[in-house]
Amino acid sequence: MNNSEKKRMNGEAEEENEEDVEDEGRDAWERTYTDERSWEALEEDESGLLQPIDNKAIYHSQYRRRLQSLSAASAASRIQKGLIRFLCVVVDLSKAAGEMDFKPSRMAVIAKHVEAFIREFFDQNPLSQIGLVIIKDGVAQSLTELGGSPEAHIKALMVKLGCSGDSSLQNALELVHDTLHKIPSYGHREVLILYSALSTCDPGDIMETIQKCKKAKLRCSVIGLSAEMFVCKHLCQETGGSYMVALDEGHFKELLLEHAPPPPALAEFAIANLIKMGFPQRAAEGSIAICSCHREAKVGEGYICPRCKARVCELPTECRFCGLTLVSSPHLARSYHHLFPIEPFTEVSARQLELSRVASKTCFGCRESLLTPGTNKAGPCAACTKCKQYFCLDCDIYIHESLHNCPGCESRRITPAAASVTMS
Amino acid sequence: MKFQIEEVTVYFPYDNIYPEQYTYMVELKRALDAKGHCLLEMPTGTGKTIALLSLITSYALAKTESPIKLIYCTRTVHEMEKTLAELKFLHNYQVKHLGAAAKMLAIGLSSRKNLCVNPKVSSAENRDSVDAACRKLTASWVRSMAAENPNQPTCEFYENYDRAAGGAVLPAGVYTLEDLRAFGKEKGWCPYFLARHMVQFANVVVYSYQYLLDPKVAGIISKEMQKESVVVFDEAHNIDNVCIEALSVSVRRQTLEGAIRNISRIENEIDRFKDIDAGRLRAEYNRLVEGLALRGDLSASDAWLANPALPDDILRQAVPGNIRRAEHFLHVLRRLVQYLKVKLDTDKVEKESPVSFVASINSDAGIDQKALKFCYDRLHSLLMTLEITDTDEFLHIQTICDFATLVGTYARGFSIIIEPFDERMPLIPDPVLQVSSLSLSLSLSLSLSLSLSPLCMLCLCCHDASLAIKPVFDRFQSVVITSGTLSPIDLYPRLLNFHPVVSRSFKMSLTRDCICPMVLTRGSDQLPVSTKFDMRSDPGVVRNYGKLLVEMVSIVPDGIVCFFVSYSYMDGIINSWNESGILKDIMQHKLVFIETQDVVETTLALDNYRRACDCGRGAVFFSVARGKVAEGIDFDRHYGRLVIMFGVPFQYTESKILRARLEYLRDTFQIKEGDFLTFDALIDVMNIELTDRNLNQRQAAQCVGRVIRSKADYGMMIFADKRYSRHDKRSKLPGWILSHLRDANLNLSTDMALHIAREFLRKMAQPYEKTGSTTGRKTLLSQEDVEKLGNNGAQEMLY
Repeated sequence: MNNSEKKRMNGEAEEENEEDVEDEGRDAWERTYTDERSWEALEEDESGLLQPIDNKAIYHSQYRRRLQSLSAASAASRIQKGLIRFLCVVVDLSKAAGEMDFKPSRMAVIAKHVEAFIREFFDQNPLSQIGLVIIKDGVAQSLTELGGSPEAHIKALMVKLGCSGDSSLQNALELVHDTLHKIPSYGHREVLILYSALSTCDPGDIMETIQKCKKAKLRCSVIGLSAEMFVCKHLCQETGGSYMVALDEGHFKELLLEHAPPPPALAEFAIANLIKMGFPQRAAEGSIAICSCHREAKVGEGYICPRCKARVCELPTECRFCGLTLVSSPHLARSYHHLFPIEPFTEVSARQLELSRVASKTCFGCRESLLTPGTNKAGPCAACTKCKQYFCLDCDIYIHESLHNCPGCESRRITPAAASVTMS
Repeated sequence: MKFQIEEVTVYFPYDNIYPEQYTYMVELKRALDAKGHCLLEMPTGTGKTIALLSLITSYALAKTESPIKLIYCTRTVHEMEKTLAELKFLHNYQVKHLGAAAKMLAIGLSSRKNLCVNPKVSSAENRDSVDAACRKLTASWVRSMAAENPNQPTCEFYENYDRAAGGAVLPAGVYTLEDLRAFGKEKGWCPYFLARHMVQFANVVVYSYQYLLDPKVAGIISKEMQKESVVVFDEAHNIDNVCIEALSVSVRRQTLEGAIRNISRIENEIDRFKDIDAGRLRAEYNRLVEGLALRGDLSASDAWLANPALPDDILRQAVPGNIRRAEHFLHVLRRLVQYLKVKLDTDKVEKESPVSFVASINSDAGIDQKALKFCYDRLHSLLMTLEITDTDEFLHIQTICDFATLVGTYARGFSIIIEPFDERMPLIPDPVLQVSSLSLSLSLSLSLSLSLSPLCMLCLCCHDASLAIKPVFDRFQSVVITSGTLSPIDLYPRLLNFHPVVSRSFKMSLTRDCICPMVLTRGSDQLPVSTKFDMRSDPGVVRNYGKLLVEMVSIVPDGIVCFFVSYSYMDGIINSWNESGILKDIMQHKLVFIETQDVVETTLALDNYRRACDCGRGAVFFSVARGKVAEGIDFDRHYGRLVIMFGVPFQYTESKILRARLEYLRDTFQIKEGDFLTFDALIDVMNIELTDRNLNQRQAAQCVGRVIRSKADYGMMIFADKRYSRHDKRSKLPGWILSHLRDANLNLSTDMALHIAREFLRKMAQPYEKTGSTTGRKTLLSQEDVEKLGNNGAQEMLY
């Protein structure tokens, strides 16, 4: 972990102050290399050996900050969230994407993190779909149709990588609008634009297009790679999206991944909707059928639509014939947790831990001791606000980011139920 | 919020207040207590206007026994509207908290052009023709004629207003120009005359500088203002120029020709009148014998022009006998015009003092000083008698009379300069620039001077800014001069000849470093860049400037504004950029708009520039540091993320007008400072240097100051000239820019500047917290904070 990340963990506001002081004496060219001055993070111990850099603490505090900011946004009131998202990722591959201020180039950095983002997105939103659009030579072209397969998107993007020409925000918005406005009303229409250029060459009045997007309830967010542009800011304000500008690669990644969890639903969407869904059966091993998506004969694999009995290769998808949304129950379950996030754990100081009534001083999750090995002093840990169980930091992260269930609360909930059974 | 400053309860319409606004109010209050004048500099975008308004109105509320009136002067109609809108907001807040006790009457006063509701009149295209059209309908003789002849058109609004007479009053409240028009329409009263009538009763009057400074207008409008008034000059960094312009007259050949035409027309009119109504002319003669001050029989609507700064005793004297008769007066005028015509025929530059000029008029044309002095009023009276309503036709002869009166009245502080120059003459690089910057920067006169191709010009220049403003200082209890850039603040009292009781410069408290000034001294090839005369045409410098711009357009979003030192330099450099293909490179990233000397064209260019910034195409605006743009147009937010100042905008030092003015300043300073300082010879030289430099730096600062208009805003400034790295030049920039100018940014080359710019833009694009409470730098004070401050004494926060 290098200097820059260390700095970032101190919180936005402090960071500025600190940078002011630090940067004062440093020349501009020197500052470019601060990010790469990883050797400065190294420390020696008494015997002159290099100490391993304690990444874990940094990582954890970083995570905690993110968690807190997320929960602060949602804690105010229960906010409805869109679980079925239709996201168009617009990648600007104009000339500006070839700039080298991100190493090796903006384009490469974008590609790398978009790949990670797509995977993360489908992991968190299994019911959602993504479509890719690129801007090149002043025109926007659709790279992939809306679909649920991460591999297809990633492959398509990697093939098309290469930049040239001007950028046109309006063309991109028009294309996206055409793709998204016909999807059913329960789906949440989102656009995420990764914008490298600093200008847009448009054929018409972009303000009209922005209004059109607003009317079609497209939530447009932009991540800029160089500087703040008025028209992007205007677009995001109008459509309720967020506008951020990346400072460096790490920051860019962070900003991008913030778009993976579902955003609060727009007010217009806040009406409850019933959606017809099919839960297809997995086709029997060895059965041969022509799948409806690739029109090829396949042995085994695939699912059968419960309504029209067509064969599809992957879930989730929409049946080609009867238009039924096909999902599997784990998908639903995985989306479900966004609605009921576990509250962030409170941090427990060493003193609190020592005074606590928990005799074992072990993590409720992994049963590892919470005391730092060797010194027998209490290490950092966190406690669930509901069940008051203690967890080590690793478990804390695992619970919040992957599991989405608190083991402490879950086991407690069973206990009274079980007790009532025995009583009767 | 509501808080105490000493014994005054200040009503401030916002929940939070900037610390500098608070100190600003404290200082202002002291000046009001002392009943003295004050000079306050606070950066743009810190809410000067609201701080001023809320303190002064609260002060008036607190001191009910001696109510003070606020006269607020703005430069443009747009600023007037903004001020009134703020005042309205403030007033609503005060009424909410205090009830009916806080009621006040506030009005804006502007020309007929902005206030007229009569569709037939207001459709005229410029100010003068609206005025004339109005007079055609409302002059007393027109109305008396209409009484007999119903076919004679009159203005129904004025008639209604006149009929209502004393009953025509505005109820208390704050009226913007729009409100006044609406009110006038609703009641059927003429808003212009209503506003002029109500000026005497209003608690707050907002109008333009000219109404106080231009003696011709001030005589009518501001005569009745009480002494217990607070006069505020907002955005007053150019106040000395406004004062000078108010008393400067320039005469061209076209003016003289027009004047001759006017004279012949007047002659015809006189002949016509002799036949119809000889009695009228005789009556006028008798009136003139009695003296000008006694013309009480003229009604309010007829008083369309008044005396240009004539001392009162002259008004009471009888008009000299040789111009009392209309025919004689015309002969005098004719001789004067003829004399001026001969003067203009010269082919060398001449400079004369008014005394010698008057003497030579006397010997050559036989017009004595006294007759000259009365020219203006005599003409006025004659036009009135002849019942001439289309006054816009008579501008030329009015100019001549104006000139004659000024020349006859003032022996000091003026000089007459005759400049026979040609625009295409290579010897004089920038004739029009000089004209527009010094003598005629009012946009109206600018367009006038530009439409006539100047061949020869006779200019009566006023050099003493204190002449026009002196009555204001003498008359009113407190005069507040305030602006975003008044540096160096000690120069203004000397230029305007007054003694401020408070003179302070405030810094802006910022949550983040939102301005990034840079001094660029070298191009990417490490060669120095400058617009110094010996270097400016060097292809290396031109190329380096071009490279700088090309690089900047590729990394700065939305709008960039470039200032050049002069039109001719701009033309030259754009040409060579065009030839070398640099312009094409720029166009790939942003559209290019260029300021020209044509006002309409420039307005159109500006409009399109803004559109290009809005829609994300991005644009560059090329402008001239002393042109129209630097005067009063804001390039805020995305309209000016970066300002590049190519070179140091020195005034054209060969200009005769400037030379004369500097000389005059030096002479007067010598007199003044002779008392305090013994080594006057040395001071002489330093003073002329100082004034010269100050004028220039002020210009540069105004150009770049237009980028930042509010705290949420951010912007960069690049001073691209090696001379800016010198301390003596730099130190004349206002403090709020200097405080952000880090040592590391003082001596940059293009690539270093690029790097800093990139980093700065990224940093500024991050979301930030408005109050700054977390960073330890408190920049927004809540009610409790202010109360705490009040208890601890305000001194502590003057950091």
